[in-house]
Amino acid sequence: MKTIRVLLFTLSLLLLVTGIPLGLESAEAEPATGKVYQIGTDITFAPFEFQDVDGKYVGIDMEMLEAIAKDQNFKYEIKPLGFNAAVQALESHQVDGVIAGMSITEERKQKFDFSEPYFDSGVLMAVKEDNTDIKGYEDLKGKKVAVKTGTEGYSFAESISSKYGFTIVPFDDSSQMYEDVKAGNSAACFDDYPVLAYGVKQKNGLKRVTEPTKGASYGFAVSKGQNQELLEKFNAGLANLNANGEYDRIKDKYISDEGPGSLSRSELMKQSIPPLLKGLGKTLIYTIVSLFFAFILGLIFGFMKVGRNKWLRGAATVFVDLFRGIPLIVLAFFIYFGIPQALGFKMPLFVAAVLTLSLNAGAYVTEIIRGGIESIDRGQMEAARSLGLPYRKSMMKIIIPQAIRIMIPSFINQLVITLKDTSILSAIGLVELTQSGKIIIARTFASFDIWLMVAVMYLIVITILTKISSRLERKVRHG
Amino acid sequence: MGKIRVEGLKKSFGTNQVLKGIDMEVKEGEVVCVIGPSGSGKSTFLRCMNRLEDMTAGQVIVDDQDINDPKTDINKVRENIGMVFQHFNLFPHFNVLKNIMFAPMELGKQTEEQARETALRLLEQVGLSDKAEAFPSHLSGGQKQRVAIARALAMNPDIMLFDEPTSALDPEMVGEVLGVMNDLAREGMTMVIVTHEMGFAREVADRVIFMDGGYIVEEGKPEDVFGQPKHERTISFLEKVLKA
Repeated sequence: MKTIRVLLFTLSLLLLVTGIPLGLESAEAEPATGKVYQIGTDITFAPFEFQDVDGKYVGIDMEMLEAIAKDQNFKYEIKPLGFNAAVQALESHQVDGVIAGMSITEERKQKFDFSEPYFDSGVLMAVKEDNTDIKGYEDLKGKKVAVKTGTEGYSFAESISSKYGFTIVPFDDSSQMYEDVKAGNSAACFDDYPVLAYGVKQKNGLKRVTEPTKGASYGFAVSKGQNQELLEKFNAGLANLNANGEYDRIKDKYISDEGPGSLSRSELMKQSIPPLLKGLGKTLIYTIVSLFFAFILGLIFGFMKVGRNKWLRGAATVFVDLFRGIPLIVLAFFIYFGIPQALGFKMPLFVAAVLTLSLNAGAYVTEIIRGGIESIDRGQMEAARSLGLPYRKSMMKIIIPQAIRIMIPSFINQLVITLKDTSILSAIGLVELTQSGKIIIARTFASFDIWLMVAVMYLIVITILTKISSRLERKVRHG
Repeated sequence: MGKIRVEGLKKSFGTNQVLKGIDMEVKEGEVVCVIGPSGSGKSTFLRCMNRLEDMTAGQVIVDDQDINDPKTDINKVRENIGMVFQHFNLFPHFNVLKNIMFAPMELGKQTEEQARETALRLLEQVGLSDKAEAFPSHLSGGQKQRVAIARALAMNPDIMLFDEPTSALDPEMVGEVLGVMNDLAREGMTMVIVTHEMGFAREVADRVIFMDGGYIVEEGKPEDVFGQPKHERTISFLEKVLKA
């Protein structure tokens, strides 16, 4: 009976992994209405792609793609994955194309075919709004300059830093960099022209002081040698948009003159809390679903580990060592990008996320169950067996009920860890609480307020869980 | 015909040989006390009799059944052999009544009604009628051990094995447990008792076995083993124990 149940669980897990993607793929490939192209994009690269207040993806790339698709009459679906994830997804053929303000470089041309360039970037310098001392590079002598790692702004700043005598302070994120300038730590910042121009337009507290340098060009990419008809349509549509002035209109909408004013704090909160709560809900759902499967995995492997069969014990040990030994983010990349690339199928993000968390948490739950069972005095099993009770009955009626009491606090602890770990999966584009925060900051640049709200939300949920845990612990201790 | 027959019994834990060849027999209704210094293999010997330890070599035959035979259902054999442990091993998540009723009900030997009746009768027998609803954590050591004896008796076994049943008890509680065991012996139960209670062994045992270093060194009637021990190791052991 037990074996059959275990088999069923394993089977349903396998179905979850393989069945759903197959189902989705056949639904997409409807020949009558034409192919629906899957287009990967960044999530937080204003003004090219970002979510507006209503959660709709907007930006230069988004509006341009919409106009081109209309012009060329093709259908597409946007997959907001994050920049690095989108590039990897294109490499592993998870998407048909990527539009993400991607610079056309020699290195990328090895792997991808690019469209005609549609936007010329460059580097722009900005200072605090009320700063009147710094008007050009010459005024930076002896000062600190904030830059974002991996951007053109960074390489440009590096190339002129010794000439103008300033030091570079690197940041990972545009909003952090702007905050540093506003706080007066850095005198100025260098950033990619469109990004900075958009920030200024959103009243991020800075002003432009230079004209953009000549920089890289952005292009739309497909995998090398693949989806050539899509590339041709894109180029043709882009040419039409340039000819009829539509493209300039889209561009100006985001980066020309002053735009609407920035939001007050209360307006920002009013606007941000609903999407953040939605993100929190997703976080809880991912946590619960993942822990459900983790629990099943933990039961199977936990019993294998305390069992008497040396092969099953070995298999369970391998399982635990493997998934405890791989960092969660590496596991996520491997499952979402690696496996589909190797086996040539598409894996839905939800499945990849749940699988990653389940395997990781499953390894820990296995150890909790093993530890719980082994913490029960050997004499309990001996007493039960000496009365003539079979091994399984002794396990289920005598050992497990006692072990569960011991395990409960550890389970709650794992719940808290898994809940926090869901935020790591924002790296593969999973929209949960952390990602929801990133998305809002990309639009509003209000990093302090938004991260504070995100942190408080995590804190509240986790504190509630910890309180429940200590209450249960007390209850267990006092019988 | 012996109730329990042990032939050439050897047991090793890894490279450590604990039992080096034991031959003995227990007759129906006989009370056998096993004495000897710690580490002599007494407990291991006892635990081999219901296969809580798997033997390395030799045979244990209970009621004409070789308990090592793959065709023997060891659970059936164990139903007929009650065991009492040094550390009681009561089930802490059950109350006293449930501890006693659990095995007979779970194994389909008795209905709930019958099991309750048996349990209450046994509790009366061991003098704990007022503790039926108590949980083990609220009992003294002596009370726990008496419940453990009642639990073993609930399966209505022919044989009872006792593994140092009073060693974990405070001195003032030893008497109440030995009293219950004494009653059992009088009723004709077949018993094998590993013990350090020399006075009890002398009074109750039909036969005393002295073990040392994995062998049975000497055995005989209690008055002989205690009165005129033959073997030098028996003499020095008894000297040490009785002096203390």
